[in-house]
Amino acid sequence: MTTISDTTKHLDMAASSDRARVLKSLALSDKVFAFATRAAAYAVLLLLAGIILSLIAGAWPAMKAFGFEFLITRRWAPQLEPEPVLGALAPIYGTLVSSFIAMLIAVPFGLGIAIFLTELCPHAIRRPIRLAIELLAGIPSIIYGMWGFFVLGPFLANHIEPSIVAAVANIPVLNSIFSGEMVSNLSLFNASLILAIMILPFITAIAVDVFSTVPPVLKEAAYGIGCTTWEVVNNVVLPFTRVGVVGGVMLALGRALGETMAVTFIIGNSFKISGSIFAPGTTISAAIASEFAESEGLHQSALILLGLLLFVLTFIVLASARFMLMRLEKRAGA
Amino acid sequence: MLEKISVKDLKFFYGANLALKGINIPLYANKVTAFIGPSGCGKSTLLRVLNRMYDLYPGQHAEGEVNFDGRNILNPGEDLNLLRARIGMVFQKPTPFPMTIYDNIAFGLKLYENLSKSELDGRVEDSLKRAALWSEVKDKLGANGLSLSGGQQQRLCIARTVAIKPEVILFDEPCSALDPISTAKIEELIDELKTEYTIAIVTHNMQQAARVSEYTAFMYLGELVEFDETSKIFTTPSDQRTQDYITGRFG
Repeated sequence: MTTISDTTKHLDMAASSDRARVLKSLALSDKVFAFATRAAAYAVLLLLAGIILSLIAGAWPAMKAFGFEFLITRRWAPQLEPEPVLGALAPIYGTLVSSFIAMLIAVPFGLGIAIFLTELCPHAIRRPIRLAIELLAGIPSIIYGMWGFFVLGPFLANHIEPSIVAAVANIPVLNSIFSGEMVSNLSLFNASLILAIMILPFITAIAVDVFSTVPPVLKEAAYGIGCTTWEVVNNVVLPFTRVGVVGGVMLALGRALGETMAVTFIIGNSFKISGSIFAPGTTISAAIASEFAESEGLHQSALILLGLLLFVLTFIVLASARFMLMRLEKRAGA
Repeated sequence: MLEKISVKDLKFFYGANLALKGINIPLYANKVTAFIGPSGCGKSTLLRVLNRMYDLYPGQHAEGEVNFDGRNILNPGEDLNLLRARIGMVFQKPTPFPMTIYDNIAFGLKLYENLSKSELDGRVEDSLKRAALWSEVKDKLGANGLSLSGGQQQRLCIARTVAIKPEVILFDEPCSALDPISTAKIEELIDELKTEYTIAIVTHNMQQAARVSEYTAFMYLGELVEFDETSKIFTTPSDQRTQDYITGRFG
């Protein structure tokens, strides 16, 4: 503060050498500040590189022992003598299938809610619904896990899934996807449903945001040639926001792929690929969470390798989401 | 003269705020009626009542009567989609839909009519010709509507409106975002369109109102101050406020 008021005083007297001195001292603090912020930003990059390197270092023994086979081996037998047989296929399968089913459920629901909120909802109930959805996002995943374990899982296994099994018993393909052989409280489908509920708020929130970027006058123009709400949404709102919606869906997918606690509770942690979604399975993160504490040696290294695979998978998903959002911003700026 | 639309004692509310304080005005068939007045006087609001665009927004409502071919369109039972197809609207900013030039026009047609591909092609061409855009876009109908210049986009929007054969076209400051050449083209177009349609145009440009319209309404603070033949409004207005406004003394 003093320097600034001093500066003005000196300027009045047109003492140019004083002015240069003050500017010099300011330039030094500018440099320090720029250096500090840059260091903070670079620290993130270092941290990221460190995590990747330590993952690779930890996974190295397993990579050496199993090589590419690790990706296509279905068996997971850490206690086998003399050499354990470990393969990532079952957890990769479980991760992809549970996330896929979760998206299948959550995307239409999430977009539907967003369309309702932005286009149809009476003003008075818009806030309560948005609030409820935000609260849904705030529930810790362990609570979803417990609820799934004690309430949703048993309910689905006892009341819903048997009727689905019975309904499709004679339809080829479907009767193996919804097979009744191993209907259980803990299953791939139950985990997917929990996942769907967990990612729903993400999809809804992002979709509401991008839907509100549609210029009102564009919607009015569509209504102005006699479109119904559905036609406006389908032909104007969705095409206009397609890229943003896809970006939001990818972010939700990234979360679904990595979700650990709730899934570990309810998926059953069985390293099998049974083909039926009503049977127990496992995911990468659930496998790590449930086994890491009691693992050692090659087993532990294989779990770390699983972690690396999940990292790569999630990175690809998030990078493509970023890319699409970038394209959206570019178009909005044009 | 035939009154295509007659507005009777129309009041309009934004929430509790009275924006139109009892408007009475006719729109004569196949004539251009211009609405002038300072910003916020209610002329755009009046236009948005005529096709009930305000219905999209909660908290806005209208009282009184707007008779369109003798039918009060403010009735709650009115089919709004049909109404808006019969009363088309062109906005201040060009609003091409996020699709190709062809689809921008075909889209509205497909909503109401079951046309074969060749009929559809014919209607698209016809509409673009009426909007004086055909020669400029006939080789790139598959290009995105957003790739056109501002003036072309606005003519595309006019073509889109004309395509579905409305009876009335509402123009809400259609040239305020355009350069003088595009403006001249749009004005020429309005002159041609009135042979088939009833036209209402809101404008801030007094010369434009004088050039394109047969009737002019001067609005101020939510009231209709004066409505008369354009030549009379611009030469011998009967209200002092109209006189002050058109001579640029306020507004």
